[in-house]
Amino acid sequence: MGEKISWESEFATALNRAKAEGKEILLSFHNPG
Amino acid sequence: MDAVTYPDSKVSDFIETKMIPLQVPYNHQPLSTDFNVQWTPTLVILDAVGKEHHRTVGFLGPEELIPSLLLGVAKVHFDLEQFDPALANLEALLAGYPKSDAAPEAIFLRGVSRYKSTHEAKPLKEAYELLQAQYPGSEWTKRAYPYRLL
Repeated sequence: MGEKISWESEFATALNRAKAEGKEILLSFHNPG
Repeated sequence: MDAVTYPDSKVSDFIETKMIPLQVPYNHQPLSTDFNVQWTPTLVILDAVGKEHHRTVGFLGPEELIPSLLLGVAKVHFDLEQFDPALANLEALLAGYPKSDAAPEAIFLRGVSRYKSTHEAKPLKEAYELLQAQYPGSEWTKRAYPYRLL
């Protein structure tokens, strides 16, 4: 609990996980600086 | 967001448990173009086929991000006419974050979800009355104004 978020970096992977796990995707566009 | 909001333990727990987190640079191609991203941070809530249902632009602190995500997830279910899970997420938002900026829209969407699932007008009028009582200055109170006559 309270650990760092494990972000996916590939859209296709996120879609596959969303379908498999029945969850919605949070797509975060950021400026990595 | 990366420095303040995402490291918050409640935020990271919520995102890890409830969502599939995907983060890309603002200029990522093709996603930046596909989702017409013009500023950061931009957060987009997608369903399992990649369709957008909710977005926010600009910084959100921990106390506002979780209710915004709950609203986004509720919108996914609402758009897919899955009213029970939509209502469950809206109730969680309103129970846990009643003072958040997302709360008035959640009351509005809860009223509409109840109406669409029951075909009774009463929830719409109740939504307006609650908005008028608790959030009289909200744009969602104005949008619900016609429901006072139901």
